[in-house]
Amino acid sequence: MHPKIRKILIAIVIAAALVAAVVGVYSYAGQRAFISTLFSGLTLGSLFFMVAAGLTLIFGLMDVLNFAHGSMFMLGAYIGWQFYTNPTFIFGMAPFLLAFGAGVLVAPIIKPYLIAWNISEKWQKALPKIAYLLALAALVFAFVGFDILSVADTAMVAATTTTVGNPLAEISAQEALGRFWLRPLFMFISGLLIAVASSKPGDKTQFAPKEPIGKKLLLPAALLVLTAASTLVRESAPVSILLMNGNLRFALSILLAVAFGFIFGAVVEIALIRPLYVRPTFILLMTLGLSYVIRELVQYLWDPLTYQMSRPPLFAQPGKASGVVEWLQKGSSTMDIYGATVPTYRLFIIALGIAMFILVVFVMTKTRLGMIIRAGVQDPQMVEAMGINVKAVFTLVFAMGVGLAALGGIGAAPFLPVQPLMGDTYQTQGLITVVIGGMGSYIGAFVGAMILGMARAFGDYFALKLSLSPAIAEASTVIIMVIVLLTRPQGLFGKKE
Amino acid sequence: MSDQTPLSELLVVDQIETFIGQFHILEGVSVRVPKGSITVMLGRNGAGKTTTLKSIIGLTPPREGKIIFDGMEIQGKQAFNIANLGIGYVPENRAIFRALSVQENLKLAERRKGDFARSADFIFDLFPDLKRLYKLPGNHLSGGQQQMLAVARALVPENKLLLIDEPSEGLAPILIQQMMEAIRKLSKTTTILLVEQNFIIASQLAERYTIIDDGKTVQEGLMKDLVEDTDLIHHYLGASIKTRKELEMEHASEN
Repeated sequence: MHPKIRKILIAIVIAAALVAAVVGVYSYAGQRAFISTLFSGLTLGSLFFMVAAGLTLIFGLMDVLNFAHGSMFMLGAYIGWQFYTNPTFIFGMAPFLLAFGAGVLVAPIIKPYLIAWNISEKWQKALPKIAYLLALAALVFAFVGFDILSVADTAMVAATTTTVGNPLAEISAQEALGRFWLRPLFMFISGLLIAVASSKPGDKTQFAPKEPIGKKLLLPAALLVLTAASTLVRESAPVSILLMNGNLRFALSILLAVAFGFIFGAVVEIALIRPLYVRPTFILLMTLGLSYVIRELVQYLWDPLTYQMSRPPLFAQPGKASGVVEWLQKGSSTMDIYGATVPTYRLFIIALGIAMFILVVFVMTKTRLGMIIRAGVQDPQMVEAMGINVKAVFTLVFAMGVGLAALGGIGAAPFLPVQPLMGDTYQTQGLITVVIGGMGSYIGAFVGAMILGMARAFGDYFALKLSLSPAIAEASTVIIMVIVLLTRPQGLFGKKE
Repeated sequence: MSDQTPLSELLVVDQIETFIGQFHILEGVSVRVPKGSITVMLGRNGAGKTTTLKSIIGLTPPREGKIIFDGMEIQGKQAFNIANLGIGYVPENRAIFRALSVQENLKLAERRKGDFARSADFIFDLFPDLKRLYKLPGNHLSGGQQQMLAVARALVPENKLLLIDEPSEGLAPILIQQMMEAIRKLSKTTTILLVEQNFIIASQLAERYTIIDDGKTVQEGLMKDLVEDTDLIHHYLGASIKTRKELEMEHASEN
């Protein structure tokens, strides 16, 4: 049979099976149950996609399977939850991180001068090591006597609305500024030393033309200003944030979580993954180890407890809206859709997932970055030989992938219990999604995520209805993966090797 | 060696040694490429010609030796930095991006915005076929079309030097003629370092040659001297090329 005819026939059979399944389930379950299960499925699918999109982009371009993706999802949830519920911890840490970042970002300014430095080969090797050690020492100095747990603890004391005007009135005061300001200073010095070490002083093979430094100065200078500002407002800012409109605060939490994920991803790629590209197996083990480190760190700061993030006001008022307009006006927690009662926050997650998919498709097909990624998937060496800094693109893609994971995390936080293992299920489902959709295909990730979401939702529905074990819903995703792997090993949208 | 007046050299490769994994592939290769000429690297299969090109562009950086491009030492620098100095690379396997259309393949080669808009007319003049294939994805192109696109891609930004690896490999005779014509035209504006197994083509195109044998440069000079020296040709290039007489016979039968 002609392969094209075969393809069309297969498509018709699949479409017919799908329609039959939908009609069958619809008539069996009835309209209300069908629609509410459908929206559960779409919600789960959106969350799976947020995890899978990053996984598949990173794997497609860099052949890196990031086993810390679930932990990064969880980290995004924690950062966003912290900012939304009580930003004391975020603002307590901000001066440290900003000062450190300002120091590191001095690197592009000093690099041209450092590499032109004439020093003996011995010093060329020794100097970076000395600088790294000193940076570590400065880092330790910055935290000496700083009770990070008490800052994290105060953050756990949920903000109270009882004390009018100051929701954080019951929380103990922080370290006096007279002593505190030395900490960001040491962080800045630490970052500066890392900038020196990573510039490889005296290494003539490095390439860094002496361009005007005006533009390069902008970023570290801005970060220093932010450091100073955040040092001063450490205690007052959390209060004003908490007095802010809840929806706006939630939007800011999302932005913060994504920005944090992006920067965290970039740092992980540069510092941990880049040195290991020659040993792919080590990268796998490293990301696995990293996931434990992140989890333990979170447990250390916030104890191995489960938190429930409250929903932003737009999704919190009791009552059922009859339509989108009424929901947006009243902020109802549920909405009527063709007789079914659907929680409005689920609609938000679905919208977020679809928006992300559109964004990913736009970036991949319409932008130069997408072009570079699609070319780099096939032949990164040739892309590099055309004059494109592939290493920087790798960093960017990893950072974007982690940013997407963090977005999924904060998106899911008001919907799932916030706890250190919350990302694990999503990582597993994300990996299954990627396998079903085809490694490296973002369209496959979306379709795969929706298939899995539906399988989980309808699996749960039937398990309940027919009093089967709820494990059947979880097993269904693995069964789908096995079927796909047996019939189409490269995944639904994957390319044959 | 037949040396004459000092040349203004765009590229000097000086005794480079390159390892790929454990293997010592280049054990002392030197190539000199004068500005505004075509220089061809000759040698048996596996002699190290492709590795030399890759060492120049920085994909397999040499462990020893120097590479001077336009008065600047470039060995050890990262490939994208080297390329951005003005070197275009057309690899042996063409490396057309299958997931990208012809248009995107060309656009990707831009180093500055507007590079392609500036060079489009020149490129389509050289390879009119590409205009017809503009929207086609890279995986739909034939071998010859891929080769044209690979060369065209190197012409999008302004390059001072083109490294072209086996442009005639696997092409039909008519396409070889077209490709030779294109390379000849290109050499009027840029300098070219060519790897070419087909001695007929090499001898017609290049002014200078470098013979590489077993990872070492053994001979270099002017092409017109080499064509006369059948002993030398046989000694180093053996079965991979033909003598002048055979060449002429073949040429006569072609025309």
